[in-house]
Amino acid sequence: MNFSLFRNVLKNVAAITYKSNNTFNVRGVTQVTKNIHITCKHYDLMEFFDEKKNWNETNIRVGRAWKLDELRIKSNTDLHKLWYVLLKERNMLYTMEHECNEKVRLFPNPERIDKVQESMDNIETVIKERNIAYYKLETGETGERPVEDVVNLLGLSEKYQKQEYHLPKFMNSRWVRSYFEHGYINSFAVKKFYRLYREKLHNEERKARNRDFNHVQQLLKRFPDMDMEKLKAEYPNVDIEKAKRSKKARGHFMPKY
Amino acid sequence: MRIYNFLCKKVGELTVKYSNLPESYIKRSYEQVYWKNPKGYPQYRDVQVARRKFRFTTNRPWTMQFARQNERSKQNKKVFLEPVGEWSFFKGDRVEVMVGRDKGKQGIVSQVIQERNWVIVEGMNTHLRVVGKEKDFPGITIQSEAPLLVTTGVKLVDPETLKPTEVEWRYTEEGDKVRVSLSSSRIIPIPKAAEETVDYKSKELYVENPTKDTVAAAATKITFEPKLRTFEMDIMESMGIKEDRVPAKSYWY
Repeated sequence: MNFSLFRNVLKNVAAITYKSNNTFNVRGVTQVTKNIHITCKHYDLMEFFDEKKNWNETNIRVGRAWKLDELRIKSNTDLHKLWYVLLKERNMLYTMEHECNEKVRLFPNPERIDKVQESMDNIETVIKERNIAYYKLETGETGERPVEDVVNLLGLSEKYQKQEYHLPKFMNSRWVRSYFEHGYINSFAVKKFYRLYREKLHNEERKARNRDFNHVQQLLKRFPDMDMEKLKAEYPNVDIEKAKRSKKARGHFMPKY
Repeated sequence: MRIYNFLCKKVGELTVKYSNLPESYIKRSYEQVYWKNPKGYPQYRDVQVARRKFRFTTNRPWTMQFARQNERSKQNKKVFLEPVGEWSFFKGDRVEVMVGRDKGKQGIVSQVIQERNWVIVEGMNTHLRVVGKEKDFPGITIQSEAPLLVTTGVKLVDPETLKPTEVEWRYTEEGDKVRVSLSSSRIIPIPKAAEETVDYKSKELYVENPTKDTVAAAATKITFEPKLRTFEMDIMESMGIKEDRVPAKSYWY
């Protein structure tokens, strides 16, 4: 119930903000303009490109991405504005990168894309935190999309993300029931697959174990005076005493004992 | 993908710090993915064909030289690294060289290459290199430093006795983590030069880009007030949007 309310609200916010920004609601707009610094207003396609003086630059140095702690001290309206600033910046960077590739030029400082993306991810995290806190306080649930642990067709455990439907489960004849209810899970084919899958996992584990053991042997051969505690800390699953006794670990030198 | 991540050696922590680049960018600048299965289809597994073994040298992973050194056709011999535990060498540290021609001399660490357990000490362990040699030009001879292994090649210098010493990480009573010299139990402070990056010498000296950066005062200003509202409710209220409709009942399964 709450999820659907939340979703509808979201949908309406998008629709109404679009309307209010473009047509009337003068009071809202003036309030906004008071608080934001806008360097230049173009409202044409050139906003997808960088400023003209940056076109021939080889190095455009910028700071780092917004950190989570810096975003946590910002109000919701600030985060909302910052999101659109970042979105515009990201669009601009993608356009500039594409244009540079077209013109066979070097795109200066491509790490800016990663910085903007990281900031946007952090904003999403902070907003999610705030919403989860609200919903937990009010309803006792997180308000996130519900996830269930299920066993899939191949007999493997999987996270199933639930979906929203108008009809309840028993009335919805078009909804395909989970494979578990069909009884595939106990079939011969699934059992065979699962056996082979487990064998594969076991082989991977065995190979990793052997690889580590051989690596430690080689390390012992090359660095006989190595700090054994540090070696043990880095390779906790390797029997170092056994590796020391092996032939591969003895280098081309006389043993000290 | 899992095995790839397991086998692929990660770039050192100090390298990331020095580069002042996002980690995701460093990863995408040096990785070589030859084939990746399309995402979002049930019939394709999440696998890729990519280079797994990289040769890390004094060339930093995000540079062109690194890419050239790790071209697709190039296969290198495996490098064995002695485990060092917690890293205790930083840029600007005074160290004593324990091997080679400059054995017993002290110098300042100018570069740290964590992927190979290397440090480069200013003016120590050098060799001569001829640069720019052509048919009618003999070239210029320059002195260049070779890296030294932190396990055997160098030792940190005790600030009291000025002798090489082993170090250990300990906590002070205030809870700060510090390096302590084992010979005299003195704290060896981490030098100011350790926070130097490609872009600036220290954080205070960073020059803001007036058109792109948010000014520090605006970034640190606290505007958050706790309210019993979700993000969406708050934005709707600040924009004067009213929503009274009740959504139809729905079911999650």
